Amino acid sequence: MTPEEIQQIFFVECEESLAAAEAGLAACQSGTQDGDTINGVFRAVHSIKGGAGAFGFIELQAYTHTFETLLSDVREGTVDLTDDLIGLLLRALDTLSDHVMTAREGGSAPDDAALIVEMQAAQAGAASAAAPEAEEAPAAAPVAKVDDTPLAAQDSGDDGLDFDLDSLLDDLTSDFDQPKAAEPQGWDVHVRPHAGAMRNGSEPLLMLRELVELGGHCTHCDVGSVPSLDQFDPSQGYLGWTFSMPAEAEVDAVREIFDFIGSDCTIAIGEEGMPAAEIEQAQAPTPPAPPAPAAPTEAVEPAKPTATPAAAPATPPSEAAAPAPATPAPAAAPNSGSAASAAGQSIRIELLKLDRLIDLVGELVIAQAMLVQRLDGAGITATEELALLENLTRDIQESAMSIRAQPISSVFSRVPRILRDLASTTGKHVKLDVIGESTELDKTVIERLGEPLTHLIRNAVDHGIESAEDRIAAGKNPEGTLTLSAEHRSGRILISIADDGAGINRERVLAKAIEKGIVAPEAQLSAEEIDHLIFAPGFSTAQTISSVSGRGVGMDVVRQNVKDLGGRIMIESKPGEGTTFVLTLPLTLAISDGMIVNVGDQTLVVPLAHVLESLRPAEGDVKALGSSRHMLNVRGRYIPVLSLREALGANSGATSPEEGVLIVVDTESAGQAALLVDDIQDQRQFVIKSLATNYRTVEGVAGATILGDGRVALIVDVDGLVACALPTQERQAA
Amino acid sequence: MTISTRILTVDDSASMRALLNHALTSNGFEVAQADDGVAALEWLAVNEVDVVITDINMPRLDGFGLIEQVRGGTRHRDRPILVLTTESSDEKKNRARRAGATGWIVKPFDTEKLVAAVRRVAH
Repeated sequence: MTPEEIQQIFFVECEESLAAAEAGLAACQSGTQDGDTINGVFRAVHSIKGGAGAFGFIELQAYTHTFETLLSDVREGTVDLTDDLIGLLLRALDTLSDHVMTAREGGSAPDDAALIVEMQAAQAGAASAAAPEAEEAPAAAPVAKVDDTPLAAQDSGDDGLDFDLDSLLDDLTSDFDQPKAAEPQGWDVHVRPHAGAMRNGSEPLLMLRELVELGGHCTHCDVGSVPSLDQFDPSQGYLGWTFSMPAEAEVDAVREIFDFIGSDCTIAIGEEGMPAAEIEQAQAPTPPAPPAPAAPTEAVEPAKPTATPAAAPATPPSEAAAPAPATPAPAAAPNSGSAASAAGQSIRIELLKLDRLIDLVGELVIAQAMLVQRLDGAGITATEELALLENLTRDIQESAMSIRAQPISSVFSRVPRILRDLASTTGKHVKLDVIGESTELDKTVIERLGEPLTHLIRNAVDHGIESAEDRIAAGKNPEGTLTLSAEHRSGRILISIADDGAGINRERVLAKAIEKGIVAPEAQLSAEEIDHLIFAPGFSTAQTISSVSGRGVGMDVVRQNVKDLGGRIMIESKPGEGTTFVLTLPLTLAISDGMIVNVGDQTLVVPLAHVLESLRPAEGDVKALGSSRHMLNVRGRYIPVLSLREALGANSGATSPEEGVLIVVDTESAGQAALLVDDIQDQRQFVIKSLATNYRTVEGVAGATILGDGRVALIVDVDGLVACALPTQERQAA
Repeated sequence: MTISTRILTVDDSASMRALLNHALTSNGFEVAQADDGVAALEWLAVNEVDVVITDINMPRLDGFGLIEQVRGGTRHRDRPILVLTTESSDEKKNRARRAGATGWIVKPFDTEKLVAAVRRVAH
């Protein structure tokens, strides 16, 4: 795995962590402020910080540090989790998300200065009692403590003794360093492991070996404390060693060797030849040493702070990287309640492998259909076996699909952020209700759902929900409500975005549409048809273009996005009560519904997403326009007729509308049209095979599929075909 | 012949595990991975290991909980365990030591330091 790939994993994790933190804070907001939930939020931010450091995203790391520190205080209970603080944390999370985006895609980091100050203030406000300590930056500059008036100048009250010792030791070090620099000479290190040195899997022998690797050699072993055999306890430390180190060996390197073992081993470093006992005397492990002896010796307190590479901002003393030691439960309840704990057992698979599997399953479905047809043709009835095979195939297909399926919560979880952003730009505070967030659908669909959904939500808040004043005047709750719901219905997924706003102002929509030339002034439209006018290209009802909805993307793009996903969008609006957008989407993009039609000797597939209705025209429904063009009268409106035979260059088949069947389709770029085909054979699911990858792109053809009888059928690219077959003026005449 | 040192890395972050894996395997160590304390205990129940490297903050069972369980058991009681920590304060180190850790690795780590720390404790 390359470092870049590992970095990609990190960014995926960031997304998960952000979602987990968002969910956790949402839970806090709704009153669930238990330790698990808060810890989940902390862990999410902590994990982003860890990765940021590892991958060198310095700004991200610095920002998460402040964020994490505040969360840590919340977790420890030193800062109260008020509603205001949750608000701050949510805003901090939004900025964190921006930081992650910057780390991922480059660009300038978000301006977080004000937030950092706010977070530090939130922390300081609660911790003001312990403030003096917080001034002390750990690991920043230990040497800076050298002072002429060691005790008086500092206010470190309770630990005056330690401080005194430190400064004296620093003085001693500088005295000691000078002659050494002048004439390099060897030095001694004395090592005496204590009773606990073998605890925790430590092995002092390895450390002695490391001394040897640094060029040291053992000059003396103190066996004076070894008891008689009957009193011998193997877990005790009875020996002390003196190693003579060469001049070039660094004191820091030696200290580092003994860093882990801490106070379980006394280390003393001195001039060559100094008696070990004298040095060790000066530094008994537990009690603070009396003022240092006059000997030119540097006593190394086992856990002396060492400078860390990461220049961390001031850290208050209370933060901790782990919960209180009392908490770890051997077997945590499987459902610990917090949204962040849903890690579960999982593996990551390359998407390509998965797609291959889905592809193969598609082939299996086809092969099974072929087998059925062939056996049928041969007069073999194996009903039971075939039914079994069919069931198994369907099960495999469903399982394979479910691998790619993800809960829609990954899209829904971004909505609170959008609403917060909108609240700050529009001043409208909107409550969010989410229903069915665990509903699963295909990953690709989820990925491409984000954009249209975001736009619909912006639209709902900007145009749908009234201002607080208007709402109060209308006798409504000043806070609007947006309800998002998702559910499975007959093999498709239904997503609805409902607001409790004013509903669509049909008079205004119609006026606007007439003004823009989208509909004729004398047109008689039903309420539903007027509602759908907002999807017309170039339509925008906002009286003042706001930064929210009027960013050049209209509802027509939303509809196009949904259609590209093989879905449909519908509107239900009630004046004064609100508007609901309902998206119907396929569960997967790999398999679509289509209408199998015949044109001459060709079998074609028309994607069902485009089909509005199919009809056999009655006499008089079709009017000729010039010599070859026809128009179909659909309940008073005329739409152009397009002969698939001509469009695709087939050499036989129905030529006049009266001989065949007309399929009324809806296209994005060219409005409605009626496709003329010979007849409709069937309606079924099909697996899309790209023509571009297997052959080349063909105009008017979206792809191909294999039918049950093994023949290849082309899938009609309805949008492309209608747009290129019908001259623009003709469509406008319609 | 030498047998390579077997290391179990425990971290809930897949990217961190991948980083550790990358750094350790390229230095000749044999690496197994677990994504939290519970998974680590399950793995340890049926496998041998020379060194355990664990994160502290993890769901289900955190690093300290894991150490407590390992030290309280019999099979891997004396195994060296290094904790991954983002802080290098004395308080943190003492806490890790008290909890039963053999040593620590400060995140972000560089490969050299990581390998040195592992070699320092590997029996």
